[in-house]
Amino acid sequence: MTRDDSTGSSSLGFEPEDLDGHSMDELADYLDAGRTPADPSIDASPGCRIALDALERLRRLGPALLDQDTAAEPQADESWVRSIIDGIARDARAGRRIPFPVAEPDDDLGITEGAVRGLVRAAGDAVPGVLIGRCRLDGDVTVAGAPIRIDVEASVPYGVPIAVLAERLRAEIGERLRTHTELNITGIDIVVHDVRDLPRSGGDRR
Amino acid sequence: MTGHDERPALDVADDRTIAGRAADGDVEAFAVLVRRYTPLLRAYARRILGGTASVDDIVQESFVTAWQRLPELDDAGRVRGWLMRIVSRKAIDEVRATRPHLELDGVEGLELPTRPADDPEHRAEHRAELAALADALQELPDAQRETWVLREIGGCTYDEIAEQLEQPVSTVRGLLARARKHIIVRMEEWR
Repeated sequence: MTRDDSTGSSSLGFEPEDLDGHSMDELADYLDAGRTPADPSIDASPGCRIALDALERLRRLGPALLDQDTAAEPQADESWVRSIIDGIARDARAGRRIPFPVAEPDDDLGITEGAVRGLVRAAGDAVPGVLIGRCRLDGDVTVAGAPIRIDVEASVPYGVPIAVLAERLRAEIGERLRTHTELNITGIDIVVHDVRDLPRSGGDRR
Repeated sequence: MTGHDERPALDVADDRTIAGRAADGDVEAFAVLVRRYTPLLRAYARRILGGTASVDDIVQESFVTAWQRLPELDDAGRVRGWLMRIVSRKAIDEVRATRPHLELDGVEGLELPTRPADDPEHRAEHRAELAALADALQELPDAQRETWVLREIGGCTYDEIAEQLEQPVSTVRGLLARARKHIIVRMEEWR
């Protein structure tokens, strides 16, 4: 089954003499470049065309093989997921410390960026269908009372006007941050980066 | 499950949402990422390593690294490819640890049981083609298989592969050309 000679002795030849002086390496580059600019000495060569077709087919098969392999792998079981979650440092995301204005110079009160993001995510949970993604605090948060803008990304469901959802989300975030923090929020920017098709049968993602 | 009356389950969200939340410290979002990509990353690591190694350790370590580095990921929507890069680095690090020198000319591949091409359905031909590819890959010397998998499955650039294998780009090109020839010839024979 296994022959020593892996490249020669077949009807297919991929040495420069079979490829009108071109090499496989060159042909792979040509393919990568979308066969542009067109090279007549490649395009007119039957040997090169056979090799290019084969390379192109292989290029499609690689991702298909990975898809097939992936489908054959078992789903991650929960003990595996938990073992990973238990192994990560949960507090690694505290971020910068944001001081609150205090009456006495010796007093100290603050909140971490991570905690603010948690509040923002929770605000998103209060707006049906909305999922907050990344959240950034823009401003000199280490100075008490400094103006801060909140940038959030959001995924929303199909079928509800985005402007309506965004307004509700903005109100919810603003209210929670006013209630729970002393931050000087000057604006809340919302970017909807994903509109989800609602699952038809409950299982599909996206 | 209407999605309107309650918070939708995190696992319906797109990668950018999930990875963005995880970058911000949402552990449950990270768990969704782990569930979503464990099968893919196991499969990818297995292809790189030729099916022999303990891919679970590599995938687990990769997720731990991913958690640490997620805040550096600029485009959270590209988390899939980014995770694959982490896995390929871990996998290659592992083979380099046990194989200090790249054998550039070995011809004997790992002898592993071939996957049965078993499907009687209409996609049988495609599956047979993939099985032939899988077999041809298994025959390749390690370095050729690694470069081919990183390039054609992982989408790595030549420079990235060279960096991971600690070889000059010219060597990577040579390995890839040989791997491609071998695979094409073998697949043709199996037709």
